[in-house]
Amino acid sequence: MSLWQRLLNIDRRWIYAVLALVVIGPLLFPFSIKPKPSPPVERLFNYIDTMPVDKALVISVDFTPDTQAELLPMVIAMLRHAFATGHKVGVLTMDVYGLGLARDALAQVSAEFNAHATSHDDSVINGEDYVFWGWTTPLVTVMLGMGERITKVFPIDYYGNRTESLPITRELRNYEDVGILVTCAASAIPRSWINYAQVQFDVKVGCGITAVSAADFYPYLNSGQFTGMLAGMRGAAEYEEMVETKMIELGKNWRLRRKGTEAMSSQTAAHMAIMFFIIAGNIAFIVTRRKKR
Amino acid sequence: MNVSPDPWVWIASILTLAIFSFLYRENPFYRFAEHLYVGVANGYAITFYWHRVLVPSLFDRVGGPAPLGTKIWLIGIAIVGALYFTRFIPRISWLVRIPIAFLLGYACGSSIPRAVEAEIIQQARATIITRANFHHFWQGIWAVIILIGVICTISYFFFSAEHRGVLKPAAYIGIIFIMVGFGASFGYTVMARISLFIGRLQYLLGDWLGIVK
Repeated sequence: MSLWQRLLNIDRRWIYAVLALVVIGPLLFPFSIKPKPSPPVERLFNYIDTMPVDKALVISVDFTPDTQAELLPMVIAMLRHAFATGHKVGVLTMDVYGLGLARDALAQVSAEFNAHATSHDDSVINGEDYVFWGWTTPLVTVMLGMGERITKVFPIDYYGNRTESLPITRELRNYEDVGILVTCAASAIPRSWINYAQVQFDVKVGCGITAVSAADFYPYLNSGQFTGMLAGMRGAAEYEEMVETKMIELGKNWRLRRKGTEAMSSQTAAHMAIMFFIIAGNIAFIVTRRKKR
Repeated sequence: MNVSPDPWVWIASILTLAIFSFLYRENPFYRFAEHLYVGVANGYAITFYWHRVLVPSLFDRVGGPAPLGTKIWLIGIAIVGALYFTRFIPRISWLVRIPIAFLLGYACGSSIPRAVEAEIIQQARATIITRANFHHFWQGIWAVIILIGVICTISYFFFSAEHRGVLKPAAYIGIIFIMVGFGASFGYTVMARISLFIGRLQYLLGDWLGIVK
């Protein structure tokens, strides 16, 4: 059996082993990669950054733990951005499995800000600076109902507080008070946000999506239906970089952990390995086919 | 190395390794982790649906101070919803069509007009080339490419006439656009899968073993 034939018949477990090494190596010994923000990421960042302070950022955590590696860094980066620029934040989820992820992200980012706070104004407080509405169903009722009055859709928040009694509710009543709604999803839910929230109430919608579904959502970005888009872990890393730069500008050089950016060296190494496998596999296929002839 | 003392981190890590063991071959550890995942996920969802939907929206209101009219409506809707369970009784399983009809009617009525606006009218509008597209040179070029791509791809899926004459090259160019689309999708899929793998390794090497900070 020739070398090329052996290559074609290689046990897939060897490929898994090589990929594991290629990914683990840069995690242990990372090389520096500074992601350059792409236009869709810049558009979303700039929109949130220049949004009036009386307009809130709403983040819909529409994903489950299986895709948190790609999507959770986006949620964390957007929360840091909103809190750093003084915007109110509303968080909800359309997927019951997203509850724990959203709660943990809010707990982590509010703790980061409160650890550096010197006064009440610097602090990030539940019910004043952010609200976690939690989850309810069905999807259509939530998306349409939020345009009328959010407290009717979510009479109690995730922590069991009556939403009508929260101070933030005075400034965040319905979509009119929302500067942009960003849906982070691993499914077709961003389309529903466009169909129900945007078509009906003209609310600005942005999205953070898994790389798998990125190609499906580019048409909505091109048409302007999405204000901006973060695609996969790379999109998260680009947003993290922009937020980091912004926070340094604002004097908040806290050197916070950025999981998306940390993963970029492994991501790059793995992509190079896969490109090598594809090229080698194609050469082996062509060479062995010629020999057969 | 700073191994986590948290037992939940250990459980999550061992279950992750059990799932990864499938890459070597099918085995009892993988089966155990898979079944545990399905069971826990369903139990979690059912509990939340019960406590966050059924109890506050139905039981509390029917048993509470709501007006009689509201209570009758809620009980009626609950009975219609409960007809889903007739699937398990073959003799009256046809009754399941009633809640399905309600659901389909509601879903179609609420989604069709909005989907037409968002996914047909807005998308078609985005392919129209205006003078504004050429304020930036490359933006204009991309707008022309998108227009050609849309027309040629639709030509490929036009089956009412034989692909001859103008339709033949248009359909051929359409195939090229479709292939480029598939290539982009495949590239993004690879990126996504690697990202998920990296996420788990960050957990194993960072949160569990404390090797990666």
